[in-house]
Amino acid sequence: MEKNKTVWPYLLVTPAVLVILLVVFVPVVHAFLMSFQSYDLRRPKEIAFIGLQNYGEMIADPLFWSALLRTVAWVVFGVGFQFIFGFSLALLLNKYFFGRGVIRAVSMVPWVTPGVLIGLMWRWIYDGNFGVLNDVLMRLGILKDKIPFLSQTTTALPCVIVAIIWQGIPFFALMLLAALQVVPEELYEAAEMDGANHIQKFFSVTIPSIKNTICITLLLRVIWVANSVDVIFNMTEGGPAYSTQTLSVYIYNKGSSLNLGYASCMAIVLALLLALVAVPYLKSTFRSAS
Amino acid sequence: MVLTWHDVRQTDIMHKKEDRMIKRLAAAMLMTAAASFLFAGGSKDAAGKSTGTKGATIKFRYWADNTGYSKLMQDIIAKFNAENGKGITVVGEESPWDGGAYSQNLFNVKMGGGDVDCATWKLTSTPLFVNNDLLEDLTPYINKWNKKADIDPNIYNIMKKAGGSDKIFVMPWNIQVLYVYYRPSYFKKAGISVPKTYAEFLEAVKKCTMDTNGDGKPDVYGFGMRGSKGGQEPWGSFIYGEGGSFDKLDSAESVKGMQDYIDLFKSGYVPPTAPSDGFNEIIANFQSGLTAMTIHHTGSSQKMIDKFGDDVSAFPFPAGKGQWTSMGDTETVVFKSCKNKEAAFEWVAYLAAGEGQKMWCEGTGNVPVSKTVAAEPFFQNNRFMKASIAGEGFAGILPILDTTTEWISVTWPNTIAQALTGKIDAKTCMDTLQKGLYGKK
Repeated sequence: MEKNKTVWPYLLVTPAVLVILLVVFVPVVHAFLMSFQSYDLRRPKEIAFIGLQNYGEMIADPLFWSALLRTVAWVVFGVGFQFIFGFSLALLLNKYFFGRGVIRAVSMVPWVTPGVLIGLMWRWIYDGNFGVLNDVLMRLGILKDKIPFLSQTTTALPCVIVAIIWQGIPFFALMLLAALQVVPEELYEAAEMDGANHIQKFFSVTIPSIKNTICITLLLRVIWVANSVDVIFNMTEGGPAYSTQTLSVYIYNKGSSLNLGYASCMAIVLALLLALVAVPYLKSTFRSAS
Repeated sequence: MVLTWHDVRQTDIMHKKEDRMIKRLAAAMLMTAAASFLFAGGSKDAAGKSTGTKGATIKFRYWADNTGYSKLMQDIIAKFNAENGKGITVVGEESPWDGGAYSQNLFNVKMGGGDVDCATWKLTSTPLFVNNDLLEDLTPYINKWNKKADIDPNIYNIMKKAGGSDKIFVMPWNIQVLYVYYRPSYFKKAGISVPKTYAEFLEAVKKCTMDTNGDGKPDVYGFGMRGSKGGQEPWGSFIYGEGGSFDKLDSAESVKGMQDYIDLFKSGYVPPTAPSDGFNEIIANFQSGLTAMTIHHTGSSQKMIDKFGDDVSAFPFPAGKGQWTSMGDTETVVFKSCKNKEAAFEWVAYLAAGEGQKMWCEGTGNVPVSKTVAAEPFFQNNRFMKASIAGEGFAGILPILDTTTEWISVTWPNTIAQALTGKIDAKTCMDTLQKGLYGKK
C-alpha cells in the first residue's frame, strides 16, 4: 500500500516530463552535437564531425564579438529602463486615483501587442521621410531637418532599444504591482511610528518586501530580451551595417542561411552565458528552500 | 482513536480502488503512446498512388503578392481543372512570400516529407534543393513537349546554369526585367530628356535633385536608392555601367561602379534613408513625389499608372562601358517525391506556355516567357512592357551559388550600408562582397 502511494505522483508528472524531454532536452542535445559538425544544409554531402573548429571560427569572427557587445548593451539598457519605468508605473498604479482601472488596462497594450507588429509600427514611426516622430519633432521646433533614425549606425540601436523598452514596461508594472499589493500595511505603519520618511520606507520596507519578485522578473526579462529576435528583425534585420545585430539576430541569420553547425555553436555559447546569469539566483532560491 | 475492523476493511477497499485506477491510467497512457506512433508513421503514406494522369491530384504550392494575384491564381487553377481533359485536379495551397521565408518553409516541408508536388520558385533556391536531391529532372518532359520551342533557348540555359549541370530542374514561368521609372514632369522641370548613356543617367540624377520651395533643402531627390535587402538588383546596373561584373566584384571597374553609388548618397542626390530603404520605401518615396526616378519592374506599373496617369514612364537602364539589368525570375518546379510527375508537368507547362501563361502575365504585368503570348497586343502596346522587353537583351541574373541566399539577405545589405555610411571604402566593400559570394563560408 505504501509503495503504491509513492508511485502515483511520479505517474502523474510523467507526461509533462516526457514532453519537456522531447521538446526541450532532445533539441538542445542535438544542437550541442551539431556545433561540433560542419552541419551546413547547403552542402549536405560535406556534413562531418570537425571537433572544435566552429568554436575556433567563432572566436576569430569579429561579427561575433561585436554582436556580443551589442547584446550586452541591448540587455543592460533595454531591461534596465524597462525596470525603472515599469517599477515607477507600478508605484503609481498602487495608489488610488480616478480612472486607475482604465490606466491599468491601457498600460498593458504594449505587452499584448505581437513583436512583429511592434517592429513594423516603430519602423514607420522612425521613418526618415514620412515618420510621425520626425514630423512631431519638426513641428515642435526641436528638429530643423529630418533624421533617418534607422538608416544611421549611430541612432539605429538606441531606437530599437526604445521599442523594446516600450514593449517590456507593462511586464514589470504588472508583476511588481502584484507584489506591492501584498506588502503588509502594518510594516509601513510601524516604520512611520519609528519616524521613517518616504524614502526610508521605500528602501527599508518596500524593496526588501518585494525583493524576490524583483529578482525573478529581472532574470526572466534578461533571458527573454537577450534571446529576442522579432522586434529587431522587423525593424532593421540587424542593419544598417550590422549596427543592430545582436547575438540572437546573428544566430538567426546564420541559421536561416542553413549553416546550422555554426549557428548552434553560437547558440550554445549564448545559452551558457545566460546560465551564468541564472545560476546565482537559482542557488539562492535552493538555499532558501532548504 | 481506535480503529474497528470496519475501518480497516474500508481502507483496504479504498486502496484496492486506487490500485485499479493506477493500472487503468497506466494502460491508457501506453495505448495512447502506441496509437500516436501508429498514426505518425501512417500519415506520410496517406497520399494514394495513381498511374497515368487520369484522376491525378496535384498539390501545388504558390505565393501571391496581393489578394488580386491570389484570386487570379485560383481562377487559373479552376480553369485548368475544368479544361485539361485528362482528369488532372490541381489543388492550390497558398503560402506567403514573407521576404523569402517561402523558400525556407518549402525546404522544411520537403525535408520533412511533406506532400507538396510542385511549387512556384525562385532560381536562388535551386542549389540547395538540388544538393539535397529534392527536384525532378524535367529535361525528358521538356524534350517531349510540343511547345518547347515557344520559350527562348537562352532561358533554358539560365535554368540549367542555376542547377549547376545540363539538366533542367526548373521550369520557366515569367520574368521581370528591371527598368527605370521616371516622372516626365520632373524631367521637364530639370530641362533634361531620357538619358541614353550611363554618364547621362548619373547627370540626370543630379539635375533632378531639386529644391522646389526655396528653403535651401532638396524636396525632390534624383533617384530612389534601395540599400536594404533586394537592392542588389538595381545596384548591379551601376557596377556594369563602369565595366564591372558579378563575375569579378573586386575588379577596378566594379569598384568604380561602387564609388558612383557611394558618391550619389554622400552628395545628397538620393534620400538619406537609402541605407535602410526596401521595396516599400522606394515605391512610397516615388509615389509621394520625393524621388524623380527609381528602379523596379512591371509588377508595380499598374499602381504607378493609377497614381500618375501619363506623368510616369520608363526606360531601360542605359549603357556605359557595360550594360546590365536584373532579370527577376519566377519559375515552377516538380518535386522528386511527386507520385504523378506527368500530371504535374501538364500543369507547369500550362503555366509556362498555355492559357495559364496568358492569364497570369496579363493579370500581373509580368513579362511572358512564351514568345506566342509576348507577341499579343496587350504586351506590345504597354509602355512598361516595352521597356522590359527592350531590356531583355542585356538582362541577367546573379550568380546562383549556395552562398547566394545569405549574400542577398545579410552580406550585401550590411556591407553596402557600411560603405554608404563611410565605415568602409568602395574597395573594401567590393572585396567583402566578392569573398562573401565566392569564398566558402
